[in-house]
Amino acid sequence: MPREHKEYRSKARIYVDILTSITKKGGKSRPTRILYGANLSHDRLMKHLGQLIELGLVKEKKQEDVVIYKLTDKGRKFLMEFMKVEKFADAFGITI
Amino acid sequence: MEFVSSFISLLIGYYALKGYKKFAVKELFLLYLGFIVLGIGTFLRVVSATYFVTLLKTLEPTPNIRSLINLAGLIYTLTQIIAYSLFTATYILQAKTFGKRSLELGMISTAFFPIYRLFFNPSLELIAIAMLGFITVHSFINWLLKKTSESALVFFGFGFMLLSHLLFLFMILQETLLFLGQVTQLAGFLCLLAMLAKVSKAHA
Repeated sequence: MPREHKEYRSKARIYVDILTSITKKGGKSRPTRILYGANLSHDRLMKHLGQLIELGLVKEKKQEDVVIYKLTDKGRKFLMEFMKVEKFADAFGITI
Repeated sequence: MEFVSSFISLLIGYYALKGYKKFAVKELFLLYLGFIVLGIGTFLRVVSATYFVTLLKTLEPTPNIRSLINLAGLIYTLTQIIAYSLFTATYILQAKTFGKRSLELGMISTAFFPIYRLFFNPSLELIAIAMLGFITVHSFINWLLKKTSESALVFFGFGFMLLSHLLFLFMILQETLLFLGQVTQLAGFLCLLAMLAKVSKAHA
């Protein structure tokens, strides 16, 4: 069953979309790029990024007046764990 | 064979629990409960069958022993029905989320047949078959849509379990069917174990 039929995204799925978006940019990315990659509004992205920083999955860094978000080792582990659970759930027809 | 099946069931249940704890997906919790109940039920059947076989070698089957066997059989069948109900609920919940949506063989089976026949309840078996049929159809649709080896293994897993129940249903006609039923049941759980192994290896 394709994901586009789903009415909402779970919190875990939003986190994963943000983390995947950062990974695709080589492990660090600007908020604008994450915004497009994760398909979120600016306000929602900032709220979720704050939560990801609190959880230690993402680090915030300033580089030449530009804020960059970097994936941590914990974030990488979270992403890998999610992929495994997603594959497991997917095999039973469960979409996370 | 059933001991291996119960172990695999508990293993899958544990994996589903891990996923639920990390990502709070309700369906994974139902899957966890289903496999844990199925695993415990199957394990209890192995223990009670072994106990009653040993007991009946030394003692005559008194009414008390017979009612104990019947009770054990009823508990086992009920755990299966509870487990299948939970799997059915998983698929229903998911649908809502989407909105629209031989010689030696004969000897072995003959040796165990009297106990398992007493463990057998045709009406409850039919309920189990109906629910497992629903689950198998859903896993088949999922395989058609996803076309992944993991979803194929889940379909074959539930498919073999369904076949084993059908074989158990007809064991009153042919005793060898009991053994064949147990083999297909084990094959089903082995498919699920293979799926789990594939998933665990992925991204490692």
